[in-house]
Parts: sequence; structure tokens; C-alpha cells
Amino acid sequence: MRRFDLVLPNTVEDCLKILAERGAQAKLVAGGTDLLPQMKNGVLKPAVVVDLSGIARVRQVDNGNGLRIGAAVTARELEVSPALRGAYAAIAESAALVGSLQVRNLATVGGNLCNAAPSADMAPPLVALEALAVIAGPKGERRVPMADFFTGVRQTVLAPNELLVELIVPPPGPRSGGQYLRHTPRRELDIAVVGVASQLTMTDGRCTTARIALASVAPTPVRATAAERALEGQAVTPEAIERAATLAIEAARPINDQRGSIEFRKHLVRVLTRRTLTTALARASA
Amino acid sequence: MPKQLLSCTINDQPVEVLVQPYTTLLDALREDVGLTGPKEGCGTGDCGACTVHVDGRVVASCLMLAMQVRGRKVRTIEGLAAADTTLHPLQDAFVRQGVPQCGFCIPGVLMAAAALLEQTPRPSEEEIRYGIAGNLCRCTGYTKMVAAISEAAETLAAKGSAR
Amino acid sequence: MSTMKTTRDVKGVGVSIPRPDGPEKVTGRVQYVADIQPKGLLHAKLLRSPHAHAKIVSIDTSAAKALPGVRAVLTAKDIPHLKKKAPTRAHAVLAIDRAVFMGQPVAAVAADELAIAEEALDLIQVEYQVLPAAIDPLKAMQPGAPPVADAGTEADTSEALAHSAVAIAKSEAPAKAVNISQQARLQRGDPAKGFAESDHVLEKTYRVPMVHQGYLEPHAVLAEWDRNGLLTIWASTQGSFNTRSEVADVLGIPENQIRVIPVECGGGFGGKIRALCEPITAVLAQVTKRPVRYVMTRREELQAGMPAPQVIIKLKTGVKRDGTLMAIDAETVIDSGAFSGAVLAVSAVFLGSMYKWPSFDIRGFEVLTHKPSVAAYRAPVAPQTIFALESHMEQIARDLGLDAVEFRRRHLIKPGDPMVNGQPWQSNGAHEVLSRIAEHPHWKTRKQWVAAGQNGKRRGVGLALGGWLGGLQPTGATVRLNPDGSLAVLTGQVDIAGTNISLAQIAASAYGVDTDLVRITTGDTDTAPVTGLSAGSKTIYTVGAAVLQAAEDARRQTFEIAAAELEASVHDLELVDGKVTVRGMPDKGITLATIGKKGNLYMSKTPPVLGKANPAFSQQAPGFAAQLARLDVDPDTGEVTIHDFVIVQDVGKAINPLGVEGQMQGGAVQSLGIALTEALMFDDSGRLTNPSLLDYRKLTAADLPNLETIIVEVPSPAGPFGARGVGEPPIVPAPAAIANAVHDAVGARITELPLSPERIALAVANGDK
Repeated sequence: MRRFDLVLPNTVEDCLKILAERGAQAKLVAGGTDLLPQMKNGVLKPAVVVDLSGIARVRQVDNGNGLRIGAAVTARELEVSPALRGAYAAIAESAALVGSLQVRNLATVGGNLCNAAPSADMAPPLVALEALAVIAGPKGERRVPMADFFTGVRQTVLAPNELLVELIVPPPGPRSGGQYLRHTPRRELDIAVVGVASQLTMTDGRCTTARIALASVAPTPVRATAAERALEGQAVTPEAIERAATLAIEAARPINDQRGSIEFRKHLVRVLTRRTLTTALARASA
Repeated sequence: MPKQLLSCTINDQPVEVLVQPYTTLLDALREDVGLTGPKEGCGTGDCGACTVHVDGRVVASCLMLAMQVRGRKVRTIEGLAAADTTLHPLQDAFVRQGVPQCGFCIPGVLMAAAALLEQTPRPSEEEIRYGIAGNLCRCTGYTKMVAAISEAAETLAAKGSAR
Repeated sequence: MSTMKTTRDVKGVGVSIPRPDGPEKVTGRVQYVADIQPKGLLHAKLLRSPHAHAKIVSIDTSAAKALPGVRAVLTAKDIPHLKKKAPTRAHAVLAIDRAVFMGQPVAAVAADELAIAEEALDLIQVEYQVLPAAIDPLKAMQPGAPPVADAGTEADTSEALAHSAVAIAKSEAPAKAVNISQQARLQRGDPAKGFAESDHVLEKTYRVPMVHQGYLEPHAVLAEWDRNGLLTIWASTQGSFNTRSEVADVLGIPENQIRVIPVECGGGFGGKIRALCEPITAVLAQVTKRPVRYVMTRREELQAGMPAPQVIIKLKTGVKRDGTLMAIDAETVIDSGAFSGAVLAVSAVFLGSMYKWPSFDIRGFEVLTHKPSVAAYRAPVAPQTIFALESHMEQIARDLGLDAVEFRRRHLIKPGDPMVNGQPWQSNGAHEVLSRIAEHPHWKTRKQWVAAGQNGKRRGVGLALGGWLGGLQPTGATVRLNPDGSLAVLTGQVDIAGTNISLAQIAASAYGVDTDLVRITTGDTDTAPVTGLSAGSKTIYTVGAAVLQAAEDARRQTFEIAAAELEASVHDLELVDGKVTVRGMPDKGITLATIGKKGNLYMSKTPPVLGKANPAFSQQAPGFAAQLARLDVDPDTGEVTIHDFVIVQDVGKAINPLGVEGQMQGGAVQSLGIALTEALMFDDSGRLTNPSLLDYRKLTAADLPNLETIIVEVPSPAGPFGARGVGEPPIVPAPAAIANAVHDAVGARITELPLSPERIALAVANGDK
């Protein structure tokens, strides 16, 4: 890595002060699992790095009054958190898949979202659960729905003088279940060729809310809205699932790259949508 | 740019060392503290050769900045065994079962295995494999590693502790 | 050359003894090059070409030189003694007027800190004129393709010999072919007639991409000159003597001016048999008058290491309905990157003479492209060749309804049968290994196992046979008797496979003491007898033989001294428990310690015991291995789960079974990586699209089951205690075994590696056969 200044704020306020002065040349680091590789490859050359590991507020998981997840909560903490059972299971599942244990003990949900790679594993479940991003800036805090948070490959709505502080996940309803699955060539240390999160909320045997979010098939995570509409208001039969799985392909605009071809990615969208919907239904009905 | 003072605990000893702000934890351990056990195999968190414990959890030290362990506890392979002259049951099992070949992955694997056994004292084969899945080894094919970790687990369980 | 057929009654050959360097390795105390921290150390970085083929118009290093902390910035112009045309990769220290692969070094920096060196690279301005690049080997071998080699260098000629221990015929170059750096053709009989008379003709093209050896320790070298002009190089290398010769050649200095110290090597597998970073590091050290260390990043290793070649094999076979072999026609294209280096003959030998083909036409071409040039990778070209051959043989058997093992067994060569060049196959265990795997319960119960598949997964069982001819290289060793009766053995052999303990066991058994009393020292180029590469599955076969002969020599000297002391004939003496005694008279004896001390006393007339041997070898000892996989396939995602994997290998004599098992398992997992997940993926411009271990996928522990090893021993006539080389055979059969198991599971014959989930899923979805 090239040389840089390192700043070690202890509060969100201190952090915002630094970003106000030097935000344009600064990068925030929490786990470093996306930032450091990019700096070592020369893709990013910030003059200043701001370490978030000393700020307590962004490290809590709280399920007291609705689920709130601090931005610097690690993937491992999410993987094992008792607050992420039941309807929120897909978040824990996605966190459990990141890299390896050595990476999950460092990688944060905020970093995963702010790095905004199309393959970010923790994005689809948060999109499917309609989470809100709480962003602190010079004028106070604002909330942005997860589905609107991403604006392009490695691009989000965050301004250089802003900081993601936490995520708020509204309770999805009493009979709700979800799953996140991804396809990777290896069982560990890998990155999603395609990732799918499905969340179904049921009432009296019918689906009231269906949310399907896809990773790695577009510049940002995308919702398969046609598939969602086809499920809402219906009984979720195997035929309905199959139809939704096929419709989900419409939302996918994958590219050919060294991880997978367009053909394979579309194929996987169908397979993983089918599988996650099947499991989401079972979990919602349990 | 001026160096920064890193104060932390490494292998149960308090350490104060001046580090460049852009130094990774791995490089600080190897070059500033003189602990060359953790290795760089890739620098991007994809191989596990740099695995150390921070506050008891395995991390890829190539992805941490040294200053991020301020006030925290770090353990490297050099601090795995309880005393200078004895081997941890994991190290002993690895030697007797003929695990190390080139040896480059071994410090990282042992740190991952040690953390696994503290968390899961009687791991199944699958749990062992996932416990070291973040550590690439090119020489051994992992089979003897799994057997040695299993044997060490038995030894530790018989002793009634994980250290 | 003698071989010992029996071991003395000591703890020696055949015992599973853990490596003595185990405790140092498990405590993190072993030093690799990057762990050495000399005072005044400077850090080197190389600026690398971003283009696969480009003319270097100009380089401006002034801003880089001005950065505080930078001690040297070099381009080729600053190293005038470099050859203008680089005949080998080592000579291409820094590109002179043209870059011939993306990642080729163009400038070099030495600085106080690595971070400063990186910043200095950013400040170097290079003007390139991008030239058309030859990337696809099939296109590169056509007339009119962009030329890779410098005109007038060895690689430019179209009649370069393939270098291997099997001499094969040269052939004429097609008119105006460029980029064909080696070629060969072997023929026997009348294949056209054979095909005409065949009932079953099968034609397929098999492709294996370039793969990286995947050693976990990147290339690393430390260089320092003393005030006498003596250069010391600490290197992660598989051959200190070879490195010394290459560096001497490149820098134009005598070999006696160079000392190469082989530091513990964190994996090589053929990728570290040649000099790579040593010359430039040495020049930086010379210019700065400081010790300079260069450690490749993983990204540099993948982009600009010395990988295994891409191999494309067009295979056509003709067989009668009853399975009689009629003819084989094969064309092998080996893409070696920008410099020649592949071993062509290996492919021809296995294609044409692992099974008994009455007629064949086998053509091989090495083609140069604008990609990083190759070195070797554990059994170079054999896994790729066997992938083609064993997939093909399996398919023939399936198509004709023949038993897969019986079909192979019927045609498999026996010792004495001719190889493609007419030489007879040496003693080998090919049949024994095939029989042993066929007896395995996993093979015998395969139908029931496959039928028991559940949860939508499709099961398959497959096997394959392959091997390695076994390398030869002259070498030397000495064995000294210490004043306390212990033995000191000196070789120059880098211990990358745990061979040191096996060499100690050989010395122990040959001399007549327990292995605990033997210590092996690996010397450097100043102190050791000349030694070849730790590669080619030849360390035990050649260095082991040298150690055995040196130990026997030492034993002879010991007995002669004892005979004189005891006034007895050497033929009446025996060595038991550290004492040389007259047989039948245990009280009439002299201890080894006494003999050892006498050889070191002031004014003594007793010479010190110093056994030595410096043999050369002519007889190869092929090693065969068979592997079997039981796996299941998720037909929707193409994911493969290996449930069981068995390796049967003929090692001649397992000097140290513990070490042998480790080699079998390690080689098999590299082989499985080639089969399932590994590929260096270049785009059309010659850019590597997966330069990290995230996307260059090596198998993790979670991807694998326990690997079962079965050691077979068919003694080699000339190997120490009948031993054969062990390192290479286990990397050979897995890709074919996996391809055969996948075919068994889903009915698709996939002929391109790796057998990725994508390839398998789409083959299933498209109903491919």
C-alpha cells in the first residue's frame, strides 16, 4: 500500500468533523476486508484513512424496539446473533457466507454495503426485508431505504462527508420467513456468482408480501418485482414458485465475466429463486 | 509522516511500538515486533497464512491496520504454546502425524485450529474442515491436518481444558 | 550401481518417522526469505508492462528517482551487460525494447520502505506503442501471427529439440509458421488403414488452461554483495546450483563469484526451478551497495509467474467392436507463453505408448504466445495428457459396452513393451496399480452406490490411470562419521518434499545405525556437492542413491579401520548397536565413537571416515498411480461434492510411508484443483482476469473428503532399496477420474477443464452427451 495519514476518531461527531474537512481524499475503514485489497492493488489511493473501530455506537445489535444493526457490526457477529433468528434468518445466512471466518471476524455489514460490489452478500436480505440505512452527516441523520441505497457499481447515495451509522429492519409480520442462497464454485473463501434472497410474509395461507432480491446480476442489487407481483395475493404453490422463479430472470441483467456467463447466471437466478422461495415458505409456515 | 504509538498486548506481554500509520497488523508483527510466524501468502485475506487471534478471534492480519489493535489482545503462533519449551497439543499432534510439509501455511492453520477447539471442543470432521476452510494449504491435501486436529481435540478434552 | 535389497536391522528404511523440522515449523520458527531482516535492507518493486505486446518507446524515471527514500531506479538501459535479445525468461531481466507479456518487468526500484517503492512506481512514466498480440495458441501458430520471440534467439528456430530423457524425432516446420518453438512427430504403422478397418472411431478435442503451481510462499529473494565482489543470494528455490548458473549467465560473472543459499522453500512444485527475480534483485543490490529483498505479491505471481502451459489435444482413435485397438492420431498444442520451456515428449509417450497402439501418428507443437512463460508444474504436461487419454479410453469402453478396467488392462503396456521411440518400458507397476484399484470396494460396489443417490443429487464413480517417467540428474553426497559415532550427511538437495528424513533413513540402513543418529545438512552452492533440481520425482531415486553409495563407502572405510584395529578380516565383521565386532565374538570389538575419535586426534594415523559418491544415472524408474472418485452432482447448479477419493500408487519402496502418504495426498489435491476449479483466465488482449486467490480458486479443506492412500511396491531395479520417485504421479490421474465420474453421474462428456459448476450445469441443461 502507498502511504497515508490515519485518523482514529472515538465518536460519530469526531468522525463527521474529519470528513467535513478531508472527506474528498478520505476513505473510511472498519473491517478493511474490501478497502485494503483495493488499496494494495492501487485501485484506491486515499491520502487519509479514518478508522471506525473506536466508535462504540456503530457496533451494537439491538432487537429491543425493532431490529437495529450498527454499521460496524461484523459478519461473524451477525452470523451468530440470537437477534437474527426467525424472520430475520436470511441476514445471518448471508453474513455466514462472507469469505472465511478470518474475514467474517473483520468484515462489517456497513462495509459490505458501502463498498457496494454487485456481489455484496449482505445486501439482498436487507433489501428483501426493506431495511433502512441511517446516515449521519453535517445536517443530522437521514434514512434511505435499502433498495435506493445503491446507485451503481461501487456507488451509493453517501456523500464524502457522510457516515452510515446503522440499519433499521422493520419487523416483517408474524408469519414471515426468508432465505439467502448463493452459488459459488467453492464452499469457502468465495464470492457470489449469483445470490438470491427471498422473503415471504403469509396471512391465512396466502402471500401478503413477497420480496426477492438478486445479487451479482446487475450493477446493483435488484428486486425481481415481476416475480414478487406474481406471488402476492396468491397461495404459494410449487407451480407459483416455478412461475416466479422464471419471472425473476427478467430482473437480471448479468454480464459475462470470469466468474460466470450470462447464460449460467440467468439459469442460476431461476434455480436459486426457486430454492429460496421454497424455504421461505416453509419458514413462514413454521 | 510521523509514526504512531501502538500499545497492545501480544502473546500475553504488554507491547509499545512505533508503527507507520499505513502498516498492516501483519507487517507490524513481522517487522516492528519481530514475530515472523504469521506469513503473507496473498495480502488480500484469501489464504489464511496471516491468521492471528485478536481478542480471541481469528482474523486475517493482512487486512487490519496495526493501529486497529490498540488496547486489544493479539496472539500469534509464537504465543500458542503455554511455555517456551513445550508444544501445544495441536503442535505436538501436527509433528507426530507428519502434517507440515513446506510449513508456510502451518502457523495460520494452527491458529485457526486452536480457535476452533476453544469454540467447539469435540468437533466433527465437517466442523474441523470448515474450521480451517479459511486456510489454504498446497502441500498436504488437508487429510493429515484433520486427523491431527481431531487427535489434539481428544488430548485436550482428556486434560479438561482448551489450552 | 548397487542397490540394496535388504535393510539392516536398524530403525531406517520403511519406518514412518516424522520430519525432524516439524517442531520448528509448528512453532513458526523456520525462516523463509521474507523473514530474514538484515540491517540496511532495501525493498524492491518492479514496474510491469500493462500490455501483452508493446514497443517501449521511452521511460522517464526522473520523478521516481527524486522521491525521498528511493535508492535506485533502473531500466534495461542502466544494465548494459544484459543480452540484447533474451534467449530465456531469466535473461529478460527488464524488457529492453519490447514487452512480450502483460506483467513483464520494465523498470525496477529499490527504496527504504515498500510503500515508498510503490509510490515510486507510480511516478515512472513509460510510453508504449501497443502492438498486436498473439494470445490464442491455435491462431498464434498460423502464418502471419504477431511474432513473440526475438528474431535470432533459440526459440525463433523451428527445429529446436524437445528436451527430455526420451529422444524423439524432429520434423520439418510448416512453411512460414511463426511462434512454433518446438515440434515433433512420431509415427508407427499405417494409421489410415487402421482407421479404415475400425468399427468405432472417436474424435474429441481436450483443453486444459494454464494453471499456477499455487505454492503458498510467493517468489522471494534477498541479495547482497560483499566488498570482494562476491554475490550472496538467499532464495526460495528448488535448485540452488541451477539458480547460480542462470544468474552467472545473465549477469556475465563467474559462478565462483556467486553463493546461492537455498532458504526454506514454501512450496515450489516446479514453479521455482528457474531463476526469476534473482538477477534483478542482484543488480539492485550491486547498484545500491545494500542488501535488497524482493518478494512477489500474489497478484504478480498469478500475472507474471511461471505457470503450467495451456494444452490442447486433438485425439482420434480407431477401435474394433470387440475392443481391439487399431490406430491413434493425436495433435498436442502446448502454449508456453512468451518463452520456450515445455516438455513435449511426455505427451507423446503417454498418448502413444501407455496403451499398445499398433499404429499411431502423434504430433506435438510448442507455441509461443504473449503470456507469461512457463516453467514446470509437477509432472509437466502429464495431467493434461492423461485427462485426454483416460477420458477417451473410458468413453470408448462405454460406447462399446466394455468393462472400463478390463478394457484398459487388456491394452496396458508391460515392462519390455516398446515406448513411442522404440525404447522398452522399464520395470513399472502400472498393472499392479490398476488391479489394486479395481479391487477396491468403492469400485466393486459402484452400481449400488450410484443407485442410492438422494435429494436430487446424481452420483457417479470414475477412475483413471496415469504416471510419470521419473527424472534423472547427476548428483553427489558425503557421509561423515562424527567423533561420537553419529553420522553427518551432506547434500545440496533442497528439501521440498520431506526427502531429508528419507535420505537419513537410507543412510541409516545402508551404514547400519538408527536414523536418530543421522543428521542431514542441506548445503549451499559453496559447501555442497553439486546437486540438481528438487523436481522430476528424482530426489530419492538419485540423491538417495548417492547417499546410499556414500554411506556404503563410509561403512567400508569404517570396517577397514576396525579390521586393522581388531586384526581381523573385514568379512568377519558386523556392526551392531554402534559397535563393530568380530562375528561370534561380541567382546572383540571397537565402537563407532572410538573409530570416529581416532580419525580426529592430533598425530593420529587413522583417517577420518568420509564416504562420498558422485553418480550419474541412465535408467529411469516410471511411477504409476490410479485414482478413483465417488462424487455427486447437483444437476441444477453443477456443484460437485466428492464423497470419497482413493489414490493407489506404486512407489517401489516406501522409504518413509508417512512422507509418501503426504506426497500422494498433496499431489492428488492439486490434481483435483486442475479438475474442478483452477484456471488462469486470460482475455483476448492477454490480460489475466483473475489475478487474485479469490478468483484463482484453490480447493479448501471444506471442499474435500479424507483422501485414502494405498501404497503399492514394485521395486525399481536401480533405485535405493527399490524406491521410485513419488512426487509427480499423484497429480496425474484426477482430472480424468473426475471427468469419468461426472460422466457416470450426468451422462455428459466434458472435454474442457476445469469441470466447473457452470460447465456441468449447462451441459446438463442442454442435454449434452
